[in-house]
Amino acid sequence: MNTKTKRRLLWLALLAVVVAAFAWVFVPVWTIQPFKAQTPGGLNLSYTLRSWSTVATPVALALAALLVVVLWRGTRWWMKVALVLLLVPPVAATWFSRQNHFEWMFKPLAQSAYVAADKVDFVGDEEMVLAVEVNGDAVAYPVRQLAYHHVVEDTVGGLPVVSTY
Amino acid sequence: MWEAATDGRRLKFHLTGINNQNFIMADEETGTWWQQVSGEAIHGPLKGRRLNGVFHDELTFATWRRERPQGRVLRPSEDNDAWRKFSERWEEQTAKLPVVTQAAAQDKLAPRAVVLGVNLNGAAKAYPLEPVERQSPLVDKVGGVPLLVVLGEDKKSVRAFETTVDGRALEFYVKADAVGGGAWRMFDGETQSEWDFTGRAVAGALAGRQLKKIPLLKDYWFDWKLYNPQTLVYAFNAP
Repeated sequence: MNTKTKRRLLWLALLAVVVAAFAWVFVPVWTIQPFKAQTPGGLNLSYTLRSWSTVATPVALALAALLVVVLWRGTRWWMKVALVLLLVPPVAATWFSRQNHFEWMFKPLAQSAYVAADKVDFVGDEEMVLAVEVNGDAVAYPVRQLAYHHVVEDTVGGLPVVSTY
Repeated sequence: MWEAATDGRRLKFHLTGINNQNFIMADEETGTWWQQVSGEAIHGPLKGRRLNGVFHDELTFATWRRERPQGRVLRPSEDNDAWRKFSERWEEQTAKLPVVTQAAAQDKLAPRAVVLGVNLNGAAKAYPLEPVERQSPLVDKVGGVPLLVVLGEDKKSVRAFETTVDGRALEFYVKADAVGGGAWRMFDGETQSEWDFTGRAVAGALAGRQLKKIPLLKDYWFDWKLYNPQTLVYAFNAP
């Protein structure tokens, strides 16, 4: 194999790695859109990609970086610019794989705190609450708050509970 | 409302996605994906498991506080205002959102009509809000269980109870003058005992008895239908 063919193959490999890193995080985002129908197959693929993404994306980044180093020497300056730019998607994918973009919009409650019923001034009389009682411990979760956070952790009368809406 | 544990192991959940407009949560411990409405693990190591439901009511704050003055209330998050902005108009905004699942042609209910869903002995039934508001208590049978669906004094809180006491199904009515003046009461036709909105008899021959509570799930019709495809819908037969 001559040098030219070899370099061409290395470029192709780099492009493939960059596209794969991007697709790895983009496919689940695309599949799991709020106003799109999901299929079991699509969800299954998304689950698989997402559960491996924190491993797959840094591996792709390392591979891409290695290829960039190999291709760096003997390349013209504008090709070097291209090589650096090609590292952007794997860097972004590595960062994104450690993010929960659903929690960007709906921030979770870091620590839930409670107020005695007779001291509450932040819930209107007509507002709806989800009410639960276990072993005499009665708790109300205002629906307005649940609708935003989606998930609230608590221990009610000794029972671990997740309140969802 | 779910028990946040399986096999004695506590799970911490996060919002992680959406499946046909019902959200998916992931637990930190195993990464399993759980469907919010059904409590079922749909992907991951715990796939096929189901979380235990925790009985809950959906009430107005005033009704809950009257019943449980010693209770505690979730305090709003102070470190972000996003929830406040979102929550101010979430109900109207959500009602306008599109629905992606296919509605059946014979469906009379709008996809985002709010229904109260009952699931008993494998039988599912949806009660649209309108008949409940028109006729309360509404008497019916689901999965062979005689029950009533009753609207509270606040006209917003709804509960369901089994109507069987000591092996016989009682008939219930809400006394017209109980609404407005004095405390809200239901009466049973057999003993004339007085029952409050928690399903407890507070006066009469059956005083002290408690009707068995039936879980009600307030849900959008499209979502209820998706997870209970065989559901019946209560029809109010207006003359």
